Amino acid sequence: MASGDRFAKLARMIDVRDVSRVYTRGADTVHALEHVSLHIDTGRFVALMGPSGSGKSTLLHLLAGLDRPDTGEVVVAGERLSALDEDALATWRSRHVGLVFQFYNLLPVLSAIENVELPLLLTDLKRRERRERAEIALRVVGLAGRAHHRPQQLSGGEQQRVAIARAIVTDPDLLVADEPTGDLDAKSAEEILGLLRELNRAFQKTIVMVTHDPRGVRFVDAVVRLDKGVLVNGAAA
Amino acid sequence: MPIPLAYNARSLLVRRWTSAFNAGGIALVVAATMLLASLVGGLKRMLVATGEPDNLVVMRKGATNDGSSQVPREAAQTIRVISGIARGPDGEPLASAELVNQPFMITRNGGRENVLVRGVEPAAFRVHRAVRLVEGRLFQPKLGEVVVGQGVVSRYAGMRVGGDVQFGRRRWKVVGVFSSGGTAFDSEIWADVRDVQDDTRREGYSGLRITVAPDADRDAVVRRIDGDPRWALEAKPEIAYYREQAETANALYGLVLTLALIMGTGAVFGALNTMYATVASRTAEIGTLRALGFGRGAILGSFLSESLLLAGAGFAAGAGLAGLAVFAINTLLSGIAFSMMTFSVATVRLHISAAGFAIGAALAAAIGTIGGIAPAWRAAHLRVVDALRRA
Amino acid sequence: MTWTGLVVRNLFRHPLRTLFTTLAIALAIFLVCAVLTLPAALQAIFDRAASNVRVSVHHKAGLVYWLPFAFVQKVRTLPGVTAVNHWTWFGGVYDEPKNMFPNFAVDPDNVGEMWPDYRIDAVALDRFRKVRNGAVVGDVTMRKFGWRVDQEVTLRGTIFPVDLTFRIVGVIPSTTGNAVILLFNRKYLEEAMEDHGGLKNVGMIWLRAERPSDVDGIMRGVDALFRNSEAEVAAETEKAFFASMFSSMQGFIRIILAVGFLSVAAVVLIAANTSAMGVRERTPEIAILKSLGFRRAPILGGLLAESLAQALVGGLLGAGGAIAMSAALRAAGTSAYAQVLGPLGSFRMSPMVAGEGIAIALTVGLVAGLVPAWNGARLNVVEALRRLF
Repeated sequence: MASGDRFAKLARMIDVRDVSRVYTRGADTVHALEHVSLHIDTGRFVALMGPSGSGKSTLLHLLAGLDRPDTGEVVVAGERLSALDEDALATWRSRHVGLVFQFYNLLPVLSAIENVELPLLLTDLKRRERRERAEIALRVVGLAGRAHHRPQQLSGGEQQRVAIARAIVTDPDLLVADEPTGDLDAKSAEEILGLLRELNRAFQKTIVMVTHDPRGVRFVDAVVRLDKGVLVNGAAA
Repeated sequence: MPIPLAYNARSLLVRRWTSAFNAGGIALVVAATMLLASLVGGLKRMLVATGEPDNLVVMRKGATNDGSSQVPREAAQTIRVISGIARGPDGEPLASAELVNQPFMITRNGGRENVLVRGVEPAAFRVHRAVRLVEGRLFQPKLGEVVVGQGVVSRYAGMRVGGDVQFGRRRWKVVGVFSSGGTAFDSEIWADVRDVQDDTRREGYSGLRITVAPDADRDAVVRRIDGDPRWALEAKPEIAYYREQAETANALYGLVLTLALIMGTGAVFGALNTMYATVASRTAEIGTLRALGFGRGAILGSFLSESLLLAGAGFAAGAGLAGLAVFAINTLLSGIAFSMMTFSVATVRLHISAAGFAIGAALAAAIGTIGGIAPAWRAAHLRVVDALRRA
Repeated sequence: MTWTGLVVRNLFRHPLRTLFTTLAIALAIFLVCAVLTLPAALQAIFDRAASNVRVSVHHKAGLVYWLPFAFVQKVRTLPGVTAVNHWTWFGGVYDEPKNMFPNFAVDPDNVGEMWPDYRIDAVALDRFRKVRNGAVVGDVTMRKFGWRVDQEVTLRGTIFPVDLTFRIVGVIPSTTGNAVILLFNRKYLEEAMEDHGGLKNVGMIWLRAERPSDVDGIMRGVDALFRNSEAEVAAETEKAFFASMFSSMQGFIRIILAVGFLSVAAVVLIAANTSAMGVRERTPEIAILKSLGFRRAPILGGLLAESLAQALVGGLLGAGGAIAMSAALRAAGTSAYAQVLGPLGSFRMSPMVAGEGIAIALTVGLVAGLVPAWNGARLNVVEALRRLF
């Protein structure tokens, strides 16, 4: 399924309708999100920003299908996520979402290319095809020469690039990144943000990125701000 | 300056499950070893207790036990009146001529084994001073009456006062139960020697037990008996006799040590895993402690102590478990049946002796030390800067 | 890269830890195989030694009670009996009292027919019939005392007041079930006992049936024949006879089994600890895998596979070690060390015990790994992500 066809069909990639989420942390009850509504169009590079505890990570988790809202509805790529049970959600994620985290992205026992192959184990692709796809993904992020290195042998920036390669190897509709530059030095951070920008431009990937980094604003199409679980600025991006 | 033990104790408690599992593994290894050792301890205790200090066992020369010895009637009569033998208040010599027999008995579980029947004269109850009637009465002569040891009561059916049992060629009537304070006699049936002679179609005896008079020269009595040219007999102190029987128990200690070695090594591996992991996860703490000024020796000592603390907890739990098992087996099964040198079966009450306790403690200490020293060494030799950087 | 590859790589993440756990399991399984062999070995000893066409006839009251020798002639008349022989325990010692070993007076004429499984060669059997003081000796005893065929040895009587000198005419090979005994001609003992009241008794009588199906009939025949005699007689198959001899060892065997069980439990705790450690350390990775879309089942499977792989290798090592030890003991048992080892020399570990050992190892792996693997797989991704980031 080529991304282009889907993009032609769906103008709106993400539709969040009146979503609330409460969770308990030990003895505290945290109202992470309060009646948040938001939509994001296909092909947009959006940053979710806000102070610590504002609910941005929680919102990101909901978009990625990692969590369910207590009230409201989340529709991504035309799929009503609340209609899927846990197993179906897992399968949906593997096909439609690419994930990049701040750290612990890669399995230390696997080489770079094996890490990139990981999501492809959930598909029906044969070994050779998986390998080929992973190689392409690594080439896109500029790390083809480091394919057989273990994460311990890569710099922070290189590790994040491998993570991004893994995120795109399944050709997902949506790329989700949670503080991707949070653990990197200034130069590497710029490289990563630039890479994401490239992916967005070249392949029309919809990217939602949670970030603290004010530098990120330069690279994105729109910024959605949250504070104390509530949207501060507009509901459309 | 050493690091306070409270730090280690609290670290162990924080990693609750890991500590519990590790200590649990050590506990089970200690329990298994102490359980096996309790069999040896019980066997030894039973045999050692059976010998009276001033008694002699007289048997045919070369016999290893009174189950396979023969002493002719005339020989017994001659020996009875040797000088040096103690006399009872009535002037009768404390010399007990006995005939040992091993007939079949069917156990309560349906098994068939040899039980030790000792044909005795009234003198036996004065020579074997530990034997005391606890129920019923003594048998009357030539009536087919028997008194049974406490160990016999639980092992075979019908062994109660008034009960009627079959062994040998006839039925016998149980008229009393005796206790010998946990010695080998508790697993025996005592009958009138003449009844046993009739039953086995034998004349004579298998051996004599005599009490040496307090002021007599024991060695002289032994020499007298050994040197008599008419019969080929020998006398030895009862304590020495039973000590020789206990030699088989020593072979079992070999088994105990083998078990301790094998399972102890397994437990050491478990302890190593735990301690290495704990050192790895507390790298930051170690760095801090070193930075604060605690030396290598203090760190080494601290982690070694932690390993020993775990092993100590394991030992306590394991010893408790073994003690419980011993109590349960002794109470519910009255002990473990064991084939003795006399080709008969005795019920051995398990007993955790000082040796058994020491083996368990030594095992736990060894596991704690060997399992802790290498990780403690690693902890002590971490480079401070590396440790802090990883924090 | 495949799932199996991932499992293997995870095991080698901490090679020392995996090695230690595997060795601990190996040691426990080694012990378990040794423990399980005990009842099996006892069973094998009398399965091998006890035939199902031989019937033992002895005094009901016990083996120390004699039967009149005249009974031997009586049982020859029973239908279905192809051979009759007898054992009378002589109880002789060689040189020192502690050198007691089983020695019996028998009928030399049909030893080969009665006990073909002793595999005494025909020449020896022939000499045994002809030489009045001839003796056939088990190989283990021969080695123990350093005897040779044609040597003369003297045994001192402990039950009978006579010493007897024998000429060794043959050997019972050590591969049979009975390589310790010494057999000699009853007539030789009878002659020696003439000055001491003669010998009119026999210890126990052996009958050989034509077919196993004849055995029941023979036993009933024996009961009927001696119902009203002076001695009460019991007939039982050889198997039953040996089985009852070992029944008194039950208690001891139970303790050994308990010890084995405790060892397995100990190693379950050790292995569980290792599994739990591994899962705890890899919580972030598990969170990543789940976020990528991997479901609980494959994650559980992968974690469990690690635990099972360790256990399997440990089990193979342990069972293999036990087999090696049993082979070594067997080799030593037929050598000069036979005396030192005693019963251990015929220690025979069967493939079935090895199989049981490996099965137990896999159970250990399953039980030890299950709870940590389950917890790992059930990890709530968002909570894990919240805790981590």
